[in-house]
Amino acid sequence: MSEEHKTTFWGAVGGKAAKSLAYAVMALFSVMTLYPIFWLAMNSFKTTREFQVSQLGFPVAPTLANYKGAWEFGEFAKLFPNSLIYTALSTLGIIFFSLLAGFAFAKIRSKATAPLYGSFIIGILLTIQTLMIPLFLEVNILGIYNTRLAVLLVYIGAGLPTGIYLATEFIKGIPSALVESARIDGAGYWRIFLAIITPMAVPVATTLAILNITGIWNEFALINILVSRTELKSLPLGIFKFSGSLSTDYGKQFAALVIGMVPMLAFYVVFRKQITKGVAAGAIKG
Amino acid sequence: MSRMKRIDREEGRAYALMVLPALVIYALVMAFPIILSVILSVSNYSGGKMFGGERWGFAGFSQYARVLADPFFWNALRNNVYIVLVSVFGQLPLGFIFAYVIYRKLVKWPGFWQGVLYVPNIISIIVVGLLWQTIFSPNGPIGEVMNGIYRNDFQLKLQLILGPAGGFAVDDGMVARLLELAGSAGADQFTDAPAELKSLLLSYGPGQYGQVMDALTNLFVQKWSPGFLNQPGVAMLPILFVILWMYTGMYLILFLANMQKIDSQVIESARIDGAHEGQVMRFIILPSLSGTIVNAAILAIAGSLSTFALIFAMTGGGPGRITEILSIYMYNNAFLGRPNFPLANAIALIMVFISFLLILLTKALEKRYGGKE
Repeated sequence: MSEEHKTTFWGAVGGKAAKSLAYAVMALFSVMTLYPIFWLAMNSFKTTREFQVSQLGFPVAPTLANYKGAWEFGEFAKLFPNSLIYTALSTLGIIFFSLLAGFAFAKIRSKATAPLYGSFIIGILLTIQTLMIPLFLEVNILGIYNTRLAVLLVYIGAGLPTGIYLATEFIKGIPSALVESARIDGAGYWRIFLAIITPMAVPVATTLAILNITGIWNEFALINILVSRTELKSLPLGIFKFSGSLSTDYGKQFAALVIGMVPMLAFYVVFRKQITKGVAAGAIKG
Repeated sequence: MSRMKRIDREEGRAYALMVLPALVIYALVMAFPIILSVILSVSNYSGGKMFGGERWGFAGFSQYARVLADPFFWNALRNNVYIVLVSVFGQLPLGFIFAYVIYRKLVKWPGFWQGVLYVPNIISIIVVGLLWQTIFSPNGPIGEVMNGIYRNDFQLKLQLILGPAGGFAVDDGMVARLLELAGSAGADQFTDAPAELKSLLLSYGPGQYGQVMDALTNLFVQKWSPGFLNQPGVAMLPILFVILWMYTGMYLILFLANMQKIDSQVIESARIDGAHEGQVMRFIILPSLSGTIVNAAILAIAGSLSTFALIFAMTGGGPGRITEILSIYMYNNAFLGRPNFPLANAIALIMVFISFLLILLTKALEKRYGGKE
């Protein structure tokens, strides 16, 4: 590095002072990010009484009573299986239907592809939360209000635009020669889809799974208008119950929030690399 | 029939069967609601059974006029714009700086920082909303810290009036100064403040300095309250802060992933040729990321339109509807009080219209900046 650069701002980047500053900034923002979560977890082990006296200290006599109370009041034993069902089935549905349509769009020539694919692409920016009122009325017309079917349909439908975009672009990258030679050998499109495309599309399927698992597990706005029976509710709906009647029972509320937070944090700890990659791939504008 | 025709037919059938499931679900969830919205927004449907119930029909475009004339609509739209501004001028630059610091290896452990800063994205928005609602509430930790500060400050002023620790003498002048310090709290606590306060002070012995301090502090000290959050223009600040807290990590990941696509040899050889960091940034990194930055800005606008749960959990649009955004404004019109579905659907379509403008903008920018990132 030449001498003159050391005096300028940009010349200093990479120098010792700049590095210390970079560490300081990153550390500051990391603490700001993690401390509220830590604070929440810490206070979930205090009684509401202790919380009111001291919010910033460690719990004097840590208790699990909040968790027991929250688990029962929130009826989490019912909500956990629901969340699992919604997340698993919707994600599988999105992956399957996206790969299927993506294969057709990418590898079967048709005049219909341009308008159909285009209409899915438009959906990427059409945020479905915008449509929650007509969706609510629609499920009532169809008679599927308060059913798992409604939740699954809406979740799958909401995931399809991005899913189909990513699947189509990925399958376009698979050499057409593979499909053509299989055709010459007499294989039908369904065989080709199952035997050639699906195994090769595992990376894009993983991306879709990552994107949708976190999104659907945490989803609130849509399921909030689709179901009202406890038997059908998901975790976020159950947690929201703690904001009204129990909003002053901080102990229970915090325990409920931790219960709502832990599954996805665990998922994140295990799949951090894939999630990071998936987010970068999924953040597309259409 | 020729072999070619048979193959064509098979091809067409496979295509249709493969595209159909996605198409049907997509139509049910996206297209049909939009059509329904168009119909209902110009109707006088008032809830209940849609077919075979109360009759309803065309009622003109009055709902759109009503929305556009409603100050709460413009308030909600303005709040949506605030969210976009926080994204574009807060999350994007911060995310970019973090990504740059990690990409240029100004810090070690790139995975660690990236991993930590992305954590809030993983947590359910409802959890985030309720957590921060507590933090900002008068009974939350900010309240505890602020009340501690108020208390210390008040006790310092008390010491000036009572004199040095050890003893104190009660007289009318001191009582008057105490009441002056107490301000309105004095009148709140007593009916005949000077006399009552004096007799209270006299009930303590001169040796009970600490007890008197505590008693006076408990009586008069100001309690912190986030009352300023009831002001329009200020009420959105906590929400905007939480949005910044929550999503900055997403832009970090987006920018970093695209920076890593830049051929590092280009940067290395530019550095060898004498370019300094500023020139690397100006002539290599920024141009390579122009598409990503536009993409991120569009994501920010779309994200603002899809925001719902965070505000639903934090404020529900209150106090006094000042923190409503379009989605909450729509929800409240449909589900709070007397439902007005035509109005709510008109709002939905206005939001869809904004989305379409956004899509057109995307297409235009894509032409200008080229390809997808």
